[in-house]
Amino acid sequence: MTIMLEHLNATETMPTRVVVMGAGGFVGSTLVKNLQKHGFNVLGLTRKNVDLLQANAEHALTECLQPNDALVMVSAKAPCKSVAMLMENLRMMEVVCNVASKANLSQVIYISSDAVYADDVTLATETSVQQPSSFHGMMHSVRELMLTQSVVKGTPLAILRPSLLYGEQDPHNGYGPNKFRRLAAHGEEITLFGNGEEQRDHIYIEDVADIIRLTLLHRSKGTLNIATGVSTAFRAIAEQAVAIAGKKVEIKATERKNPITHRHFDITACHKAFPKFHYTALEQGLAKSCEPV
Amino acid sequence: MQEKVVIGFAGMTHLGLNSVVAVAERGFECYCYDADKQLIGAIAQGNMPVVEPMLPKLWQKNRERLHATSSITDLAKCDVVYIANDVATDAAGQSDLTKIEALIRQVAANLNNKAILVILCQVPPGFTRKIAYPRDRLYYQVETLVFGKAVERALYPERYIVGCADASQPLPETYKILLQTFTCPILPMQYESAELAKIAINCCLVASVSVANTLAEVCENIGANWAEIAPALKLDQRIGSSAYLAPGLGIAGGNLERDLATVINLAQNHGSDASVIAAFLQNSNYRRDWALRTLHTKVLTNIPNATIGVLGLAYKANTHSIKNSPAIALLNYLHGYAVKVFDPVVSASVVPHVTPAQSIESVAAQADVLMIMTPWDEFKNISLVNLAKTMASKIIIDPYQVLNATACLEHGFEYFTLGIG
Repeated sequence: MTIMLEHLNATETMPTRVVVMGAGGFVGSTLVKNLQKHGFNVLGLTRKNVDLLQANAEHALTECLQPNDALVMVSAKAPCKSVAMLMENLRMMEVVCNVASKANLSQVIYISSDAVYADDVTLATETSVQQPSSFHGMMHSVRELMLTQSVVKGTPLAILRPSLLYGEQDPHNGYGPNKFRRLAAHGEEITLFGNGEEQRDHIYIEDVADIIRLTLLHRSKGTLNIATGVSTAFRAIAEQAVAIAGKKVEIKATERKNPITHRHFDITACHKAFPKFHYTALEQGLAKSCEPV
Repeated sequence: MQEKVVIGFAGMTHLGLNSVVAVAERGFECYCYDADKQLIGAIAQGNMPVVEPMLPKLWQKNRERLHATSSITDLAKCDVVYIANDVATDAAGQSDLTKIEALIRQVAANLNNKAILVILCQVPPGFTRKIAYPRDRLYYQVETLVFGKAVERALYPERYIVGCADASQPLPETYKILLQTFTCPILPMQYESAELAKIAINCCLVASVSVANTLAEVCENIGANWAEIAPALKLDQRIGSSAYLAPGLGIAGGNLERDLATVINLAQNHGSDASVIAAFLQNSNYRRDWALRTLHTKVLTNIPNATIGVLGLAYKANTHSIKNSPAIALLNYLHGYAVKVFDPVVSASVVPHVTPAQSIESVAAQADVLMIMTPWDEFKNISLVNLAKTMASKIIIDPYQVLNATACLEHGFEYFTLGIG
């Protein structure tokens, strides 16, 4: 597996068709809209079309594919927090692997996660040590390996590892930008872990879709992190969310129970892969996310 | 006496040329052999294929003693013959020894039966002892070539490290006469020690550079100034006044990378821990991209269609070499942007997708950002007043502080350099 992203199309070339497996989710639905907006021929598959946990899933997915399709695999039961969920996610990927090992695909893209990296990786790159400490990270790490071993030889496989996502339609209300902006919009108190010192790299969802689109246009293979290169403390994010909401909201610190950890990304590989692409700054992304609230 | 000792050099490369002019300058008659007749023809005319200060001048000065030849049999006239070919490395720093092994076989077959054979090129530990040549006439000598200072280093070596089959035996008279002429300490040791000593020197240099690079980045992030810190370190005798503490864009040139790769290979083969050496390489690769990261973060994010002016292509000043050059590494990833490039020695045509410029001024004209990627002396005298008038945006990325940081700020430039926050 190539580590750094390598483009098989030197110039941007539209794929014949893109099939998005997992089009009902946060990333998948945003991607489908993004691709449609840019004139791609897209087929979005949700669980209603192909349930990867059903016995006929392999046949159902195969039936949906045409020769030379590019397949983007986004589907996952996430966040993966138990043995049962881990096994379900792996069974879902087993189906995709069985299909990808036989199908005539122009490209396969897997949307993984930065959770595959060891917790003590403080400046992550695509070559950082993979040592997941969570079921979620292990799930993505194993799925990456499964696909790498299964995709037909010669078919480019790109593995994209986003950091923490945020955006208007995010269904998860986890600790971070999505939760903070919703609380702030309703004038409700924001409670931090400790004083919110931890720094993380948060990605605006449209940027994820843009990177996937560029990876399709260049028919790239290899691995790329999707991260802005700028990590921000949770307290600063909460303050930004409050400022955007324009309401008086208390940001409350709590007693720290875990040591402070940070994660930063060196995004040089992204600069090299896509020199003309630049990420949305957190402040702008938060403002865009908040507009419809 | 020294007039009677004749010295030969096989391989008229960077290493061979600079070494032979230094020996000739000390009064020895020298044969300069290379199989490349065209190269020998050019050298005989005084046209040097490499750029080094003093090299053409010293060649001219000593040309009566310097016999350029493509006839290998001329080496039979020599008392001491150096194998001085550069050993090529690949992108991973791995040496290709096949050419040097072939050259040694050819040269050894043409020497007289008293000749001393000295391996001067960059070989891994264990290489010299395997050479088929009488051990009492076979030596390995550590070369200390520094690109841009090669002649100076050859003329005034700090010491000679000489690898021997048996270090307890005195050096042969002819070889001793040659080395003693340079009036520096001579340190005989067994082959393997000398071969590793060369690598050890470079590991220490890389360690210093890596420390400087790592802490320079910390300076950039916390508002400190590495230029204020480094002199304090140099006054510490344990570190030293000549320590490699100038921050740079990683290590380049190929020779240091080769030695690091050799240590990693040896550690892998013998089961020892070389993780710190691997970290040096990782840090070097990371810092090499400082300019690209800075360009994106400070310029391209705000000016998406910026015109980029790049001064310098060589991996350092006073050399034509672009091996592992940070400038080339930068330019390879600027597809899609308007880029103008000028280097006083290297032709910009080595990078196909950029616009070659003929002068500093034409690079700067209408540029949004000026990047000084090689610290050539020519660039020190750039007029900031003119730059301010001609550039479209007043941004300078100058990793090596070729320009004065304070003056740039006073002239209204945004100025980014290594080690200053």
